[in-house]
Amino acid sequence: MSRIRPAAKVRSTEPPANGSDGDHSSVVLGPRDRLVGSLYIEGDLRVVGTVDGELEVTGSVEIDDGGSVTGPVTARDRLVVGRAGSLKGDVRVARLVVQDGATFSGKVSMGQAAVAPPKAVTPVIEPEPIKAPEAIKAPEAIKPPEPAKPPQPVKSTQAAKPQPTRAPQTKGKRR
Amino acid sequence: MDVQDAVAEGNSVASAEDNGDGKRDGQRKFTMGPNDSLEGKLVYDGHVHVDGRAEGEFKVTGNLDIAQGATARISIEAANVTVKGQVEGAVTARDKLTLAKNARLSGDIVVRRLQIEDGASLNGHVRMGDIEQNPSGG
Repeated sequence: MSRIRPAAKVRSTEPPANGSDGDHSSVVLGPRDRLVGSLYIEGDLRVVGTVDGELEVTGSVEIDDGGSVTGPVTARDRLVVGRAGSLKGDVRVARLVVQDGATFSGKVSMGQAAVAPPKAVTPVIEPEPIKAPEAIKAPEAIKPPEPAKPPQPVKSTQAAKPQPTRAPQTKGKRR
Repeated sequence: MDVQDAVAEGNSVASAEDNGDGKRDGQRKFTMGPNDSLEGKLVYDGHVHVDGRAEGEFKVTGNLDIAQGATARISIEAANVTVKGQVEGAVTARDKLTLAKNARLSGDIVVRRLQIEDGASLNGHVRMGDIEQNPSGG
């Protein structure tokens, strides 16, 4: 699912490395080639031209001979920045080689763990866990009883006393 | 800046001058052996070879190497830094940082030149370019 067709454009003097044998592609971006965007390759990539964007490769990436990459690079095997290569971007790689003379700036995350989640390969869509109904709590309906109205004008002195509420009892006392 | 203010365990510092090859290209050399350890801050005018265990902060006018098998939790500033062992901490190489094939470095690095051999492991941020010089060196 490479998003470029290298054969159409690459006219480099590099050894004829472009091609694909089924599962494994081998792509070369030659000195006059330029890619702006993102590229995913199941196989290896060699950059001798210019890339401005995101690279993800299941095999190895090599940047050399004036090759220049600006953007994040993920290589599930190896990334090589050659002595005449330049890379500016964060990298996630299993192995990294930087030759003396290379230009490189960015954050490095290394090891199998860093490249583990295959981003572009058939995303696994997990069903959203449906929450059990009981988990949904009823809205809290019980509000503290409002302090009924502002203090009313009191009739008499009696009313000032707190009157115990025993309305039902008063019936039985006096027949 | 001929300051040596190292807090060392045991007698590791005692081996500093006589253990190494003394002077090399006109510079003194501080050499730690595999059983030595150093904790603290070291400011050294010359080269430093770290073996054993080191912890703290090293500022070196010359080169600094971390031997294979050595473990260091230090921040490093030196002209050339070569790592063959294990380092945790920030590294500033005024000239070049080399990670040999068994090196493990975890920390942010600032370098002018960088060489990483296949098999080395690096986790951290890399900044490349000219290093602002500290005129006093300390």
